[in-house]
Amino acid sequence: MWKNYLKISYRNLKKRKLYTGINLLGLTIAIVGFLSISLFIHHEWNYDRMYSGAERIYKLNQEFAANGETQLVGSTPSSLIPVLIDEFPEVETGTLVFDLGIFSSVVVDGGQGSQEEKSFAFVDENFFRVFDFELLVGDGAKVLDEPNQLVLTESTAKRYFGFAQAAFQNALKIDGKEYLVTGVMEDFPSNSHLDFDFLASFKTHRHGKNPEWSPSNYYSYVKLKEGSNRAEFETKLPQMVEKYLGDIQEEYGFKTSFLTQPVTEIHLGDQSLSSIKPGSDVRYLYIFGVVAILLIAIGVINYVNLATAEATERNKEVGLRKVMGAERVQLFGQFVSESMILSFLATGLSILCVFMLGSRLSDLVGFQLKTDLLLTPGGILFLIFLVLIIGILAGFYPSLLLAGMQPIKALGNKVKTGGTAWVRKSLVVFQFFVSTGLLIATFVVKSQLNFMQDVNLGYEKEHLIALNYTNSMEGSVEVAKQEMIRSGAAVSASIASDMPVFIKAGYKVFPGGDFQGEFMITGYSVDQDLSKTIGLELLAGVDLNRNDLNRSQAYEEGVDFPVLINESALKATGWSAEEAIGKRVNFGGSMARIKGVVKNFYFNSLHYEVNPLAVFLDPNQANVFLVKLPEGDVQSNLNKLKATWEGIWPDRPFTFQFVDQAYEQQYQSEQRSGLIFGVFSGIVVLIACMGLFGLVSYVALRRTREISIRKVLGATQGDVLTALSADFLKLLGISALLAVGFGIWFTDSWLSEFANQAEVGVIPYLLAILIVLVLAFGTIAYRSWKVYSLNPSETLKND
Amino acid sequence: MIQLNEIDKFIESRFQRVFILKGINLTISEGEFITLMGPSGAGKSTLLNILGLLDSDYEGSYLYGTQNIRKMRDKDLSKLHKSEFGYIFQAYHLIDELTVYENIETPLLYRNVSSAERKSIIADLLDRFNMVAKKDLFPAQLSGGQQQLVGIARAIAGRPRVLLADEPTGNLHSAQAKEIMEVFQELHKEGTTIIQATHARENADYGTRLINLLDGRIERDEII
Repeated sequence: MWKNYLKISYRNLKKRKLYTGINLLGLTIAIVGFLSISLFIHHEWNYDRMYSGAERIYKLNQEFAANGETQLVGSTPSSLIPVLIDEFPEVETGTLVFDLGIFSSVVVDGGQGSQEEKSFAFVDENFFRVFDFELLVGDGAKVLDEPNQLVLTESTAKRYFGFAQAAFQNALKIDGKEYLVTGVMEDFPSNSHLDFDFLASFKTHRHGKNPEWSPSNYYSYVKLKEGSNRAEFETKLPQMVEKYLGDIQEEYGFKTSFLTQPVTEIHLGDQSLSSIKPGSDVRYLYIFGVVAILLIAIGVINYVNLATAEATERNKEVGLRKVMGAERVQLFGQFVSESMILSFLATGLSILCVFMLGSRLSDLVGFQLKTDLLLTPGGILFLIFLVLIIGILAGFYPSLLLAGMQPIKALGNKVKTGGTAWVRKSLVVFQFFVSTGLLIATFVVKSQLNFMQDVNLGYEKEHLIALNYTNSMEGSVEVAKQEMIRSGAAVSASIASDMPVFIKAGYKVFPGGDFQGEFMITGYSVDQDLSKTIGLELLAGVDLNRNDLNRSQAYEEGVDFPVLINESALKATGWSAEEAIGKRVNFGGSMARIKGVVKNFYFNSLHYEVNPLAVFLDPNQANVFLVKLPEGDVQSNLNKLKATWEGIWPDRPFTFQFVDQAYEQQYQSEQRSGLIFGVFSGIVVLIACMGLFGLVSYVALRRTREISIRKVLGATQGDVLTALSADFLKLLGISALLAVGFGIWFTDSWLSEFANQAEVGVIPYLLAILIVLVLAFGTIAYRSWKVYSLNPSETLKND
Repeated sequence: MIQLNEIDKFIESRFQRVFILKGINLTISEGEFITLMGPSGAGKSTLLNILGLLDSDYEGSYLYGTQNIRKMRDKDLSKLHKSEFGYIFQAYHLIDELTVYENIETPLLYRNVSSAERKSIIADLLDRFNMVAKKDLFPAQLSGGQQQLVGIARAIAGRPRVLLADEPTGNLHSAQAKEIMEVFQELHKEGTTIIQATHARENADYGTRLINLLDGRIERDEII
């Protein structure tokens, strides 16, 4: 029976080329999109699940509570892990990771010139016991047991030594200190939240030798024993805090607690926690999931629409088969087998496409898509399931319809399509609603992304570069600045704790001096040339100058230090700009005098409002050397800068970053999501239009005779177009209305994530509707022109 | 074998009922070869459809043997339909996508006949109608007469007790028509009950009983 079904289905599909072509192409494109998104979601969903016993590995986060406010941070003190291993029987092992890259880069000398490296971490000797990455060379149990030992990833080893094995037992000089390579590990997988090029033994580090309870600069991970209970473990932690931190807590009036977070939840968890790698918003996964399902839905709807439109042509066959004794179930089986074949072929083609497009898709999502997953047993099972689901979804309704026909009526071709027409119409409306809606969403996302790129940040990010700076360079900073300006390669230069893109240091204003309230405030350590270099606008008071005391000096001497505050800070104090000048406030425990007020600028993601900020002198905190380049030939200016730099600091590599690029990197995940979203919306529109083309083709075919008669009677091409398109345009109108409703909802909820929102206006709506209308109308126009150009004498002869 | 009582078939129009069949009383015994004649619109096809269980939208009673068709469940009707009836159409109504062999095979598939048995039944039929060489051709590659032979082969493949033929020779020229009627005669001799509707008086000569229909009524019923 099934052999027979398949044979007939195959012949039917072969015979109706347009029908098969549109369905196959539409489904294939839809499945390619679906599979790519599935692989993407699979990748994100399986973050950090590759370690054995991953479900027992937890990261420890730390919560500070003081004055009724709590703050959760991702880092912990260096003493935590040794204490947990010693005192908690349920802890199998634990490890500590110190991501040096947050603070500074290191200079690595492999014998052929030095290079600046950012992806460097100190980890303790248990690292490979918790995270069992494969070591190509070396023994995971003891690679990092001693100070000055180093594990390289495979690609880093290749970079420095040519191949992995060559690195083993060789030395690298890092920041002047010699390290012995005791192991080479596989590269970190793209879906591990850990990602470093160098792992050095933590025993090299001061806190590795003598762990302390401050500072909290370290990521801690524990692996609990099998069968132990996370909640139970967590309830025991406060006793430990009391034991070790009780005194300090009492003295400073704060409370600390440690909380566990499953390692598998780091990537999609709380994004405000600092982490080694930027995480991802789980909602994007949901959105992509929905898009993936919509893709399939649109492809399936094409099939349903074409199959029901075509059902009238198959009446005779159905009628005959019924007369010959076919039962409903048997007919149903036959028609479903047709959609199954299509689904099977489309899935097969899609797999080919995914493999061929693999690298393109990887570029789009930003990591290597593991297409091989499709060929694992699980993947194959998933694909079989997909084939069945698509086959059934697509075939169910049309088959039911066809199988349910009355034989006599079917043979007489007297079937009314009234009943099915509304289903078809609703499906068309749905398709174009989804298409238009996705386009609107894409344009809204795009306009917010553009807004974030073009918004006036309050400082000048163009032509501004940031070089790496360390304290050892302090003596020559002023000389370097003068030399750079003199050579014409710089307009101005300043050292600072961070790029203005993202200023990290959090402080608090306490009651004291002229202000009795308190609020959280960000601190920006700079030198006197900052305002000039990044172009800050002073609203009141005067700028910092070189005669002002810096914060460290003032602290030692016990006097006030001058600060500039921004408008948000001003607002928090309640003073007017003029009033504020000269006022004393308790800034993080030491007294500051407000010297000036600067206009707000964005020093954090546009997701957030501009927080209070204080700018003060403190060269000790500087990490970057900001240089404002003059307009004109950037490359030649960079060359001049490089010459000056290497003249003054020959041992410091000249590595720089453009601040505007750093700014854009902040929104990389949004940019990427926007791009992925855009690509798939485009695909949805494409498939929907193909479906429309097929549908219009059938209508045109069925109405060929009518149109020919009209033509004989003198209808113009325009009349024919109107006759064919009127129905469809009505449907498009309904879907446009629905899409606008969806668009308003989407705009509202998506933009609410951003404290700073773009003015969206009506343009995205109009544009989306216009695009869909033009494409749809073009499709109809093409078909009607084809029918119109037929010779009536030919078409009417057939009667 | 078949007993129709007071069969009415009508279309409800706005002001009145238009009767297609009116008060048909008909008894058919096993082994009869009946010819229905009458002008177009007399109700021949409608009567055939009702007899063949293809149409259930009528009034009156229909007994098949001892079974009351009007009171049977769909499932049993379908079973009866499969085991008892074969159909032949004026326009052959072969399935264009299937070869001669597959067309004949189709009713057997729906009757869940085993593969080996199907093969032997079809081989016999192809042999009987001299179509062995044509078994892999599609309907479009055959002449009208040959297509109708396939139609007959298909209709009798399931060994029905009653063969219903609606204008079986309407599309054929006289030589072909004669051939088809001879096949019918042969089938009749083998015991099949045949009911055919036709315009051609000469076809009635092959049968045993002639019924004339006019405007939905039986006008004349004679044994030949």
